[in-house]
Amino acid sequence: MSYTLKGRIESRLVSALPALIVAFAIHRWWAVYLVAIMLAVGAALDATVYDRLISYQPAWLAVPLGALELALLYGIMRAIPIHAPLDAALALFALAWLSAQLFAHAALPRLQLTYAEAGGELGRSGVLAAVLVPVLVFIGVGGAYATRAPTIHLHGVVRGPIVVDRAETLVGGTVRGGIVIRSSHVTLRHVTTVGGVNGIDVENATHVMLDHVRVLRAETDGIHVRNSGVMVEHCMVADPAGPWVQGIDISYSIGRPTSMVSGCTVAGVREGIVTHSAEVNVMDNHVLDTTLRGIVLGEMSMDMASGNDVESAQGVGILCLDHSMCQIDHNVVAGTKVDPSGDPARAGVAIEAQYYAQAAVGHNTVIASPGGTKQYSSSTITR
Amino acid sequence: MSRAGAAPSQTAERAAIVGSGLTALAAFATLRHGGLAHEEIVVFGTDADPTEQWSRQAAAIRQRQMRSESDGHLAPADFPGLALRAAWRRRSLRPLLETASRGYHPRVDDFLAHAAEVRARSGFDTSFRRRRIARIEAVDGGFVLDGDGPFAHVFLATGHPGRALPDELAGDPRVVHAYEPHDYASHVAIVGAGMAAAAEWQNALAAGSSVVSVRRREPVRQALNVPRPLFSRRGLAAYHRSPREQHAATLRRLSAPSFPPDERFDALIASAAAEGRFHVAAQLNGAEQVIAATGFRRGFRHDALLAGLVDRHELDVHDRWLVLAPDSTVPGLTDERRTLSVGGVAGQWAFPAADTIAGAKYAARRFLERVCRTR
Repeated sequence: MSYTLKGRIESRLVSALPALIVAFAIHRWWAVYLVAIMLAVGAALDATVYDRLISYQPAWLAVPLGALELALLYGIMRAIPIHAPLDAALALFALAWLSAQLFAHAALPRLQLTYAEAGGELGRSGVLAAVLVPVLVFIGVGGAYATRAPTIHLHGVVRGPIVVDRAETLVGGTVRGGIVIRSSHVTLRHVTTVGGVNGIDVENATHVMLDHVRVLRAETDGIHVRNSGVMVEHCMVADPAGPWVQGIDISYSIGRPTSMVSGCTVAGVREGIVTHSAEVNVMDNHVLDTTLRGIVLGEMSMDMASGNDVESAQGVGILCLDHSMCQIDHNVVAGTKVDPSGDPARAGVAIEAQYYAQAAVGHNTVIASPGGTKQYSSSTITR
Repeated sequence: MSRAGAAPSQTAERAAIVGSGLTALAAFATLRHGGLAHEEIVVFGTDADPTEQWSRQAAAIRQRQMRSESDGHLAPADFPGLALRAAWRRRSLRPLLETASRGYHPRVDDFLAHAAEVRARSGFDTSFRRRRIARIEAVDGGFVLDGDGPFAHVFLATGHPGRALPDELAGDPRVVHAYEPHDYASHVAIVGAGMAAAAEWQNALAAGSSVVSVRRREPVRQALNVPRPLFSRRGLAAYHRSPREQHAATLRRLSAPSFPPDERFDALIASAAAEGRFHVAAQLNGAEQVIAATGFRRGFRHDALLAGLVDRHELDVHDRWLVLAPDSTVPGLTDERRTLSVGGVAGQWAFPAADTIAGAKYAARRFLERVCRTR
């Protein structure tokens, strides 16, 4: 089709309506921001690139142009940043892209006979869309800005424990005694905790973001998550208060949004990252010097461990346990040590499946781990 | 500009279509889609089957595939196109993938079958009257067609005004026009360089003939009759704004013979040339048979109905073209209460690819807008 610039923009605005409606319907402000950025990026490309370079747009070109817009959108999301769940954000983009194709090739030519001849211009409907869609986006973005969670900057050392029971963002500072989160839509950024039963305790909450947190001297778990959905990025858990401390424990959260632990360093604890009955993506973490296991995906969990470095774990590097279904790939497991107990299941096993667990493994690198990859008690490992 | 004659008694029909070919069917289906009842439309023409003339010509040049693409059909809305219909019918994604990459060209059989569907679904036959209109008279609030009417809105779809034959070929017993049924002698000269000529080169070579392509200039290789932007406002806006002489120059340039790039076709011609069975020449030699793939006569003057209309109403013309408004209406005879629109090849001033299916629909859709505006 040979679009005019006006036609491109009007068609883009109209076909954004399904994504915009979904963004409002799911009550997630990131979704409204995302649609606003999609439209802004698209309109800018229309005006500066597409209109000048593409006099006729065959249908196949929608694929590379869509990929370009997705890449720009992702870059802007990271730069602002907008903390959107990646899978949901991709789904929203896919909806918008698919809507654009269906509108351009089916709905609009059907509803307006002269659509193609008019270069995508929509007449009065186009004018209406040109007003309505930006107004809706403005209302959405304005609403999101006006009702955004307050940001509290912590300075110096604060005596805790702090209980967070409303949506808010805590930035900076050091909290002695830990932080307890009991509300959804809470973000901790660049916060350090020292001590506490758990360094950070999240219960019954979703959309919790722990970004660049440091957890030191915790007494039970560094990060303790129950019945919640969290995103933990670039954290550090170290210097445990005793020999029984776990690093990050996400448990009993099946039915909550998928959690993610990414880019964290966990050192010197009993179990580095552990899940029970949860859906967690454990990616690109560095786990070292654990005294029981490096990473445990356990108890009917459906988890993925990918791109992690597990060093010098005692007994087991990565364990898929108890009816769990695990995808374990692209990890490096090095220097797993033989446990003195004499238990063969802890004889320096790099990757292990135990007790009716099913593990799909691939592209892992195992170094100096005498137990290699093993399965026990009716478990299966597929490569 | 209009000269009000005596208005005969008012008819029930509000719109009349003059002509009964593909353009007329497209216009009729568009009006029906827009909500007009059969009784409000009358179609005057000589062929009850709107595809008859076109399919006869296509059969003469053994055309199997359309030059147009998925939206080259006669239904009012472009969606669903012929590719989607073919995909559905054949339970195959291939037509859709081909249309996404511009490689889909409907088969002539599919196009004709769909045209028959459009004809049946729109009720074309119930509005058809077998009659050749020889005179259009503008009257107050409409037009009288050979004494019938007045009709408030008239759409002229008179088609090509006869086949073109160069003077030097007239009366030569060896000559057959490409659009007449014919076979191929062992040595054939084919005059012309457009779609029909290209089809005839292939046909003659397939029949075992040796071919001399007689042409004055090399054909333009382009996918459609005109560059794609000229099918939409992107290219049309500048075209409509251009001064008359430039406008006419564009039409002259676009009337150069052309056919689509096709590697298989090129390989066939190259192979025949290597075997000495295909030559290009600037003029005729002593071939046994001369096929005139020279298309149609050009200009409204060759159409008695249009010529009479122009002369009687002193309509604006430029060179061989009837000057039309961008919406394909005749400015001097169109106002708030009546419309005279021109579809098909005579409408090129408004839409350079007027003699294509897209052109037929362009004029028809704007005609519908005017008819609806005065309902």
